[in-house]
Amino acid sequence: MIEVRDLRVRYGGRLVADVPELDVGAGECVAIVGESGSGKSTTLLSLLGLTPDAEISGQVRVCGVEVLTASPRRLREIRGARVALVMQSPQAALSPATRLGVLMRRALKLHGVGNGSAKGSAEIMAEAVAAVMLDPEILTRYPHEVSGGQAQRFALALAIALGAEVILADEPTSALDVTVQAEVVGVLRRLRAERGLALLLVSHDLALVSTIADRVLVMKDGAVVESGPAARVLAEPRHPYTRELLEAVLSVPGASL
Amino acid sequence: MILRAERVTLGYGRRPVVHEVTLDITEGGVGLIGESGSGKTTLARAFLGLLTPMSGNIWYGDQTLKKADLRKFRKDVQPVFQAEALDPRMRIGTSIAEALPRGSRPGAKQRVAELLEQVGLDPGLAARRPHQLSGGQRQRVVIARALAVDPRLLILDEPTSALDVTVQARILDLLASLDAERLLITHNLAVVERLCRTSHVLFAGRVVESGPTRDLLANPAHPYTRALRDAVPRLGGPPPEATGRAEAVPAGTGCPFRLRCPLAVPECERAPEPRDVESRQVACHRAEDVLAGASGGPVT
Repeated sequence: MIEVRDLRVRYGGRLVADVPELDVGAGECVAIVGESGSGKSTTLLSLLGLTPDAEISGQVRVCGVEVLTASPRRLREIRGARVALVMQSPQAALSPATRLGVLMRRALKLHGVGNGSAKGSAEIMAEAVAAVMLDPEILTRYPHEVSGGQAQRFALALAIALGAEVILADEPTSALDVTVQAEVVGVLRRLRAERGLALLLVSHDLALVSTIADRVLVMKDGAVVESGPAARVLAEPRHPYTRELLEAVLSVPGASL
Repeated sequence: MILRAERVTLGYGRRPVVHEVTLDITEGGVGLIGESGSGKTTLARAFLGLLTPMSGNIWYGDQTLKKADLRKFRKDVQPVFQAEALDPRMRIGTSIAEALPRGSRPGAKQRVAELLEQVGLDPGLAARRPHQLSGGQRQRVVIARALAVDPRLLILDEPTSALDVTVQARILDLLASLDAERLLITHNLAVVERLCRTSHVLFAGRVVESGPTRDLLANPAHPYTRALRDAVPRLGGPPPEATGRAEAVPAGTGCPFRLRCPLAVPECERAPEPRDVESRQVACHRAEDVLAGASGGPVT
């Protein structure tokens, strides 16, 4: 679903992201891990052509579209519909005076999903909301009437309703409480398993990543310093920076299992 | 013991958000653990004298805060906020010098340099402004500023949550090395484990479990403490578990946690009083079952 080769993103001549290779297949989860300024978010945004001021070179293919050379029209076909972007605080992106149900119906219409019929959209919406374990009642609420965890799950429901095949998520749970984070992670895992969604996750939380990702890329100052299967990278890190990150993970006594 | 909350109820307007909390700030670091809306920051504000209790008292030594000498109190008890609290226009050195006690102007420059060194910064940074420093350096400046009056107690509200993990680890080392006592407010269990000998877990404005941090995390006696602990992802561990419905509203009467609790029984409609169980105090009718590892369903 995602194929990246020799991606280089520069701002004003300065190299901020240099990714030689990044592949995410259907049903897979790949995580980009790094600290502030590592280039992890820039990499994610460049997959949808959302870095307009940058000089970009390389090859980026997402859902069969060559992103770096695609026409704006071709990009619009994948943005939002086939590829969903989930950010740290979805509440900020939701129009405050619009009920969530209205917002979702508009998005479906805009992307031509549900043949424009009210009945068709209602079914799709109900199914999407159920897939993220939200009460259908949420559709009658305004954005300020839902919690952060509910807003994040609504963002995922929106992606499902629009028929997303790929989810790009930038720190989707770092603004949430741990118990709520556990719920959102549970939903992400189900969507992968049941719908074969490809998931690219950007996170600074190595422990979280270790519980969900198949493969990991570790980035520092724009460069990928290490990559490989999550289990291998986290158990036998080869780069000193990966080791430093792992040592900084604080443990909590009393493992749950 | 520097500060003590005695049956303190706190709120904004007429609505209480913290209910009849009693706890001591003891030696070795005290942690207030809770999630958004648990009342932990409200309680910290009361300990700083920034919020007057609706009922109950905050004791400072043998006096209530209402009657205490506030000048002495402000020197003894210092807040450490997140680094965004620094004045962006002010040089670092000026910012710290401003916090020095009155009458110490003559040696101020020397004292600022000492404070910067104490928090592991180059004294040369005194001439810089906040935006010229990294996030970790700014957090160190905030700590240096709090240390300027040589306080006995630091009240820290999420001191590392905005920092990268490698930076966080170094700030925690610094905090652990200081002489001042600590009250730490956080949602991060691992940070509490590093810095606090004793911890109190808050849920919906009530202390549900108190005791030695190690015991609380290794073998929780309250179902909420256990839910919190099991929701923390572990390196190479299983996916974090969502026990019960994380977002269920706290129950109005009875045990506030019962609507989310996998162990709830009819008895839980009666509010549990805090009681001593093994090494801790816990407000749960089924504490013994939780300690024994019961995972769900009512007892038969």
